[in-house]
Amino acid sequence: MEPQLWVLTVAIGLPFVAAVLTPLFYRVVGERVGYLGAAVATVSFGLVLTQVGTEGTVATPWIPSHDVALRFHVDGLALLFALLASGIGVLIFAYATTYMHGMPDLGRFYMALLAFMGSILGVAFAADLLVLFLFWELTSVTSFILIGYHTEDASSQYSARMAMIITVGGGLCLLVGLLVLAVAAELAGVGAFNLAAILENAETIRAVLEANGLFVPALVLVTIAAAAKSAQVPLYFWLPGAMVAPTPVSAFLHSATMVKVGVYALGRVRPLFHGPEWMFLVATLGMLTMTVGAILAVLASDIKELLAYSTASHLGLMIAGFGFQTHYGPEAGAFHLFNHALFKAALFLVAGIIAHEAGSRQIDELGGLWRALPVTAAITAVATLSMAGIPPFSGFYSKEILFEAAWETAQAGGGLAWLYPATAVFASIFTVLYSLRFLWLFLGEKPEELGTVHRAPFTLFAPPAVLAVGVAFVSLLPDVAIGFLVDDAASAAALEPVAIDAKIPTHLSGPVAMSLVTIGVGFAAFPYYTEIRSILARLHGATRRTHPVTVYNGLLGATDRASAAISTHVHTGQIRTYVWWLLASACALTVAGYASTVTGLPTPTSAETPVAMILVLGVAVFAAIAVTVAESHVTGVLTLGILGFMVAIFYILASGPDLALTQLVVETLLLLIFLLVIEELPAFYRELEWGKVLRDAALSVFVGATAFVSVLYAAPAEDRGLTETASEYVDTAVPEGGGTNIVNVILTDFRAFDTLGESIVIVIAALSVLVLVTMRDRGETQ
Amino acid sequence: MRTTARIVVPIILVVAISLFLQGHSLPGGGFIGGVLTVAAFTLIYVAYSLDYLEVGVLDREVDYDRQIGEHRTVTAYRRLFKFGLAVTVGSGLAALLFDEPFLSQDYEYVHLPLFGEIELASAVVFDIGIFCVVVGGLLTIFSVVGAE
Repeated sequence: MEPQLWVLTVAIGLPFVAAVLTPLFYRVVGERVGYLGAAVATVSFGLVLTQVGTEGTVATPWIPSHDVALRFHVDGLALLFALLASGIGVLIFAYATTYMHGMPDLGRFYMALLAFMGSILGVAFAADLLVLFLFWELTSVTSFILIGYHTEDASSQYSARMAMIITVGGGLCLLVGLLVLAVAAELAGVGAFNLAAILENAETIRAVLEANGLFVPALVLVTIAAAAKSAQVPLYFWLPGAMVAPTPVSAFLHSATMVKVGVYALGRVRPLFHGPEWMFLVATLGMLTMTVGAILAVLASDIKELLAYSTASHLGLMIAGFGFQTHYGPEAGAFHLFNHALFKAALFLVAGIIAHEAGSRQIDELGGLWRALPVTAAITAVATLSMAGIPPFSGFYSKEILFEAAWETAQAGGGLAWLYPATAVFASIFTVLYSLRFLWLFLGEKPEELGTVHRAPFTLFAPPAVLAVGVAFVSLLPDVAIGFLVDDAASAAALEPVAIDAKIPTHLSGPVAMSLVTIGVGFAAFPYYTEIRSILARLHGATRRTHPVTVYNGLLGATDRASAAISTHVHTGQIRTYVWWLLASACALTVAGYASTVTGLPTPTSAETPVAMILVLGVAVFAAIAVTVAESHVTGVLTLGILGFMVAIFYILASGPDLALTQLVVETLLLLIFLLVIEELPAFYRELEWGKVLRDAALSVFVGATAFVSVLYAAPAEDRGLTETASEYVDTAVPEGGGTNIVNVILTDFRAFDTLGESIVIVIAALSVLVLVTMRDRGETQ
Repeated sequence: MRTTARIVVPIILVVAISLFLQGHSLPGGGFIGGVLTVAAFTLIYVAYSLDYLEVGVLDREVDYDRQIGEHRTVTAYRRLFKFGLAVTVGSGLAALLFDEPFLSQDYEYVHLPLFGEIELASAVVFDIGIFCVVVGGLLTIFSVVGAE
């Protein structure tokens, strides 16, 4: 069945419309505007739900000349992701209305949250490279706003900026990668930006990419983008930083949705890049992140930090799943995407409850919370055991499928490929450890220092309870969840339809042994948690210099220092310095442009030059030299006038009356301006400094040479009469433009857009002068 | 200087307007006409002063205490270039009404009793906009700088 375009458009567009209206509603109804968000999310969820069972691509043209369209593709993977985003969105909005009670700027908060949900839905369904990129970047921008919710707080600013730099930097890689894909698609003749068509003709596009040596670059670029977004090694460090955001944001963006965008994108392009290179890059990356994230989660001292590193680790698991070549891989990726969203969002909401009711997020300060928070404790038990992958909880099934994928890969590859199952077990042991530690917050004895813990209100524990019921449901009836969407989702990422039964294993096999080892060692090691943590902390401290976040801070600091050093030279506050740099960089860029595109210097062609022209130009050159040695301003200005008028005469001789007229008028105006300001100019300058003179002279020569070369390049090589463009203009000026003055017809008709741009430049110049002169006394300079 | 200005300015203005009007078929056009008009006004400013037009010609009171940014002449010019920009963009948008691309122009020959065959081009509207932008923009700059 075909999906319906209007349903998708409304589901994606409604959050954006609501986002625009939110500040207005906020003024009227105050913080109750959160319920509006929940309502919008419910509508989007319902609309997406109606599309379950459909498959196909629908489009409405956007930029037809480049074959760009608002194109949406519906399949299992897109539906799974969109349902998670909108469904969890409903719960998050409901939770936020209580959690964010009494906080400032809630209009902006809900606006960004709604816009974010819309962008995620857009990413899920986008089947056009440009549309995909647009929504992808929108998630980064809205995430930046949400992380930086506490605008006055320095750590909030730092973390928001870090998340922005990493994810937008990844976005740039994605842009280049998508452009490479677009070029390949264009070469293969399947519509440049049509992602749906690209995936349908994956074999052809692949052949084109490989023929041009672009396969590996495109693969690497897309993987970097996904890694930045999904917090993979070494770009994982922004995710724990992002935990300064309010808890609903962490639960929504940094567990269930935004960080999954990278995983989702890799699943999407998997049919295109599928192969040994893909597995080597993506599966290794995922496994590495899985291990590093799990170890860092054990080290964490704050519950949200623990959950953040654990998220990175689980994202690694999903990415590794999509990386494996066997058909178990995508099944593990898609199923874990679903499971993780449920249990991790629940755990983040639990973390919010703990922080809210116990007043602390430090792991060492918390314990025995089950007495005060019995329902929350039950939710946590279901969610953490699922996170640890203990049978019969839902996380066990997806992890077991991943173990099967790793096992099968190792059997097929042999040798070093056995590292995959080994790493998976190693990382999973740590997963069991930190999951039990999180559960332990509720068990055991309550520390003396911890004050009274309040009971959580219904609105706070209801949303995670819903999620926990979801986890329990999947745990009891995994086949229902798999049959509903997960198989379809996995098939979209795999090359062939996938159908897998999830059940508790009854006989021993390789993967089952892996699970047994994981759980056994995990439980056995848990009593020594503190010792393990202190050993890891020592290792962590010893390698501090190589941590990605240290490198990041170093790079950022170096950039800061470099720009400060440069700005003392460029930003002197003197116009002459600015002019110098402006001209120098403009010419340098021009020359660089020529150097990269044209080979060889142009050869000037000798043409008949009339004596009158030589004479006029001679006078102009003479005047130009005279300007530089003029003794007073008045002489200088007048000599400059001579130069200008000579150029005007030259235009007349070269039969360009419009140019000549403009030149004359502008020249007159220039003289008048000088008359206006001549009193203000100093009559005497200090003695010449030869260094400066030489520098300025060098710049003058450079500018002159650049202009000269430009003219040579622009001039037609031989006198072949009018170029194609010129004769086109000549032919159509009268019949189409209705004017005999071609220059004017070009200005007002053929190239009117340029003229409009130039007139805007005039307005900007006028406004700048106005602002500069009138603001000068307003004491902004301090 | 004042004597010269008195004679020259009207001539310049007439030439500017004629250049502007003939622009579509002979040398000239909105930009050149605009710049020439600016030249005429600047001449007045150099010869007399910024307030001459206000006081001498239009017979208005001038508030000397105000900042130059709020000066009535300057606001008038600002309004002029805003108007010009609106006309230019508006003439472009008008084309959209006729289902043509943005900024496409058309023309029509109209027969008037006295002038004979006259060409009415929609490009003239665009040109008027450019003219206003140039005059307003440049005179804003000059009056502000000149007042220093």
